[in-house]
Parts: sequence; structure tokens; C-alpha cells
Amino acid sequence: MTSTLNPKKPVLKMDNVCKNFGGVIAADKIALELYGGEIFGLIGPNGAGKTTLLNLITGIYQSDDGEMFLLDKNITKVPTHRRARLGIARTFQHPRLLNRCDIKTNILMGSDLANKRKIKGGKLEEDMNMLLKCAGLQNVNLSDSIEKLSYGQQKMLEIVRALLCEPAVLLLDEPAAGLNTKEMDYIVALIKVAVQKDIAVLLIEHAMDLVMGICDRLTVLNFGHQIATGTPTEIQSNEEVIKAYLGGSCNVKS
Amino acid sequence: MKERFKSIRLTNVVIVAAIFLLCMLIPSQTSSYMLRVLNIAMITYLCVLSVYVLLGMCGQNSFAQAGLWGIGAYITANVVMKLGYSSITAFIISVIGTALFTFVIGFAFFRLRMYYFTFATVGLMTILNGLFMNWKEATGGALGISNIPEFRVGGFVANTETSKYFVILATVVLISLSLKFLFHSPLGRSFMAIRDNEIAANCLGINSLLTKSIAFAISGALCGAAGALYAFLSGYLSYQSFTYQQSTMYLIMIMLGGTISPVGAVIGTLIISLLQEWVRPLQNYMQLIYGAGIMILMIVQPEGILGGGKVIYDKYIKPKKTSTKNG
Repeated sequence: MTSTLNPKKPVLKMDNVCKNFGGVIAADKIALELYGGEIFGLIGPNGAGKTTLLNLITGIYQSDDGEMFLLDKNITKVPTHRRARLGIARTFQHPRLLNRCDIKTNILMGSDLANKRKIKGGKLEEDMNMLLKCAGLQNVNLSDSIEKLSYGQQKMLEIVRALLCEPAVLLLDEPAAGLNTKEMDYIVALIKVAVQKDIAVLLIEHAMDLVMGICDRLTVLNFGHQIATGTPTEIQSNEEVIKAYLGGSCNVKS
Repeated sequence: MKERFKSIRLTNVVIVAAIFLLCMLIPSQTSSYMLRVLNIAMITYLCVLSVYVLLGMCGQNSFAQAGLWGIGAYITANVVMKLGYSSITAFIISVIGTALFTFVIGFAFFRLRMYYFTFATVGLMTILNGLFMNWKEATGGALGISNIPEFRVGGFVANTETSKYFVILATVVLISLSLKFLFHSPLGRSFMAIRDNEIAANCLGINSLLTKSIAFAISGALCGAAGALYAFLSGYLSYQSFTYQQSTMYLIMIMLGGTISPVGAVIGTLIISLLQEWVRPLQNYMQLIYGAGIMILMIVQPEGILGGGKVIYDKYIKPKKTSTKNG
């Protein structure tokens, strides 16, 4: 794995990134480093600024202050589509698929980007079938319209599309929200594929079992502040995190 | 699975052959007046197709298509009459010229988001019409341009209605086939991505401004081709042809046919063009019929006739159990 060859080189680096909306602080001096092949969790109560952070990374929002680097390239002022071409892929909290196109077109949108970036796909068919199988979508008819897929299948398809972009960073915005346990397993399988491909995965999720189970490291946001960063065990025993989640102080040891 | 595939291929071949035969037989079976109506209808179809590319594929609405059609027509007239170039060269210059013009305009206009682009095209249409009326050197002003020579390649001169019919038919078929390639190309997919979800499209590496401008330029090229054909067909150009009302007519046609496929453009154009001829006695009520018809259609079947057909096909004709690949 390349990540072990040069272990100290982050794929995505955020340095002091700030954003506020009319006085409401959505991101306050965020500093993150994501490494290839790593699953990085991003958790926090509703309204903590998690999705805002993804929008800042993809360039849908412009940051007020601070800098972002993708593989040593400064992307702070780069527009969204160029960031995507540099290797940032994402999914959305509510799937944003091409609703009037068939499933095949939606999938091809991902490989189109990989082709644009001159990454040799070559084995598109093979890759696609493997990913669809991981997502439990191997039996769908690719010429069907998106509306024939369930909500969960749509979310899965969006991850497949993002993976076919061959990104360096994959941003997942609550992939498991609204899914049943079987579908959760598919999500985990897809994330494992991303890790195998040495992609840095940033995972926003409310399902704590999932986050604590698969994340290598995670950070906790509250009102735009990064209140703690560390391994799942470190986070679970962090007093401030417990305060943020349960509100007010309480004794957890008893 | 294979069996069904084969039978679909066979029906396709039969349909294409039937349409081909029909197209070949039409000139010998109809009056030259009716043929003229059909020729105009095919040119109109190209303009409606330009609306399909812009609105149906890319989700952007323009009211300036008749103006672009005019640009193509006037370029051809000038290139042939003042510069003395051949018909083919004039046609190509019209297509490229109109495409370049629309690309530049699109690059400026698409900085506007949502329906503000549409508003801007209304302004563009008005300006173009004013330009056609007043720029005497290029458009002949209110008198227009007359005596435009016929389309000719080598020894072949398209001076009869029938020969014009075949020239236009060949162009229309070629353009329609190339649109099929566009539809299945990465560029075509990027148009549809912008139509369906612009933010997702951006996150998939698609540059909104550039892609929309290209879509507008392609629609401009189609209008340019239609304009060139029109100049050769009618031999006379007047600013009164290239009006805002004409642009609206294209929109009505595509609404009627449906925006989901180019076939919608064919259906819409044919119905409205032929309707105008067949119900001449009701001429005075035409506006009323269109208005009421469109309102009813939008409520009953917003995807047009083609959309309605697709619903029926999915419900009754399409083979069942297609949701799983292996049955």
C-alpha cells in the first residue's frame, strides 16, 4: 500500500478553515489531515457544521479564512468542478442522482470523470460489476429509471458513482441514514473497497455503532468547533464529547 | 433474453425501412404546395431540435431560437450573394458562425442562474429582430433579401420543390443521427447532469458555465443549419419571419411532442405544421386552440404526447419482469 510507503503525507489537509453565515459560526478554525486508505469519522449533534464542512471541501461554499490542500496543491480558491477533477468525490445526505436518466447513465457519469482525469479505467465493466455487487445492486436492470430504486439503493448507487470517479478523497454524508441493517452491510462493503483502493474516506454518520466500528480516527464537531480528535476509544472516553452529546455535565464513570 | 433482443432489432429495421419508403414516396404522391409545407416543417423541426438540445437535454430555456435561425439565414444569403462562395461553404459558414455567436452570448448569459438566462434571451430576440429590420447593408432592412440563388453542388441544382425536399431531408437525417451520438457521449451526459442536478454535476467535475455555453452553441449550430436551408428554399428573407412569436411556436411544438427524446420534436413539429394546413377554416381560432391545448396538455400530460405514449408503453406493452436481469 502506498500509504505505508510515505506514511506522513496527507491526501487532504485543512488548515484553520473558517466559515460563518451571518454571524452563526459553522466552521471555526478546522484543522484536519486525511491519509490515503484511512476512514476518518466526522460526528457531532445536528447543526454542528458537518455538512457545511463537506460543502467547504467540495467548494460549494467558499471558506472565509484558512487554507485547504489536496495532495500538496492549494485548492482554497479552486471552483467545485476543478476540485472534483483533482480527485474529490462526494455523496449527499439526500441522494442527488440524475432523476430523468437511467441507472447506466448515472453510473457512467462517474467513469466520465475518471476518463477526463486521464485515469486509465480500462476495466470499467469489471469495476462496475464488482462495485454493483458490493452494493447489492447486481440484479437491477441498468436501463431502468432511477425511480425504480429504493431510497437505500439510490444512496448505494451514489457511492458507486463516486467510487467510479477514482477519487483521492471520498466524502460520505450520512450514507447509512434511513437504511436497514442489510443495506448498512453494503455500505460497509463499499467503504472497504474505497480503503482497498487507498482512498481517504471522510465519513459523516449518526449511527455510532458504524462509526466506532470502522473509523480509524474521528473528530467531533459542536457549533463549528472541533472539540476532540482521536481514535474511537479516545473519543468515547472524552468528557467534552459526552457533554456535547448528552448536554450538560454528568458522571459517566458510575 | 437474446430472442427478445433479436426481435427488437427486427422491428427497428422494419420501422426504419417503412419510414424510408414513406419519405421516398412522399414527393410523388403530394402536391408541390404540400411539399413546400413539408419542407418548411423539416426546417422548423431543426429549430425545434435546437430547443430539444437546450431545454430537453440541458434544461435551459431560450426564446431567441428564431433569431438564431435568422442569423443562419442571413449569413448564407450574404456569403452566397456578396462573396460568391459555393452553397456548401455558405452552409458550413452559417453553422459555424451561428454556433460561435451563440457560444459567446452563452458565455456571457450563463453567468445568470436559473430563469434569468431565459429573460436575457427574450432581450436577445428583440435585439436580433431589430437588427434584421434595420441593418440595411446585411439584411436589406425592411425590404429583405430576394433572389437568393438555389442550393447547388457541382452540376446538381436544387431548383424544384422535390429536389429541395431531398436536400433538406438528407440534412435533417444526418443531423438527427449525429444527435444520437451526442446523446450517448460524455458531453451529452454532462448536459443531462446539469439539467437534473447542477450541484451534483459540479461535484462530478462538470463546469456549468462552459457546458451550458456548449449546449447553447450546439443549439445555435442547429438553428444556423436550419437558417441556411431556409435561405436556399425560399430565396427570399424578410425580418418578419424571424420573430419572437416564431420562437414561442418552437416551444409550443416541443411541449406538445415532449422533451424526453428528439422524437418529441418530430411529433410536435409535424402535428402543428400539418394542423395549420388542415384546419385552415379555423385559422382565426388557432391561437385559442394552441393556448387551450397547451394548458390542458400541461395538466394532463406534462411530458407531452411522447411522455403519454411512454406511460402507455410501460404499462401495457413493455415485457414484464424487467426489473431483474436474469428473470
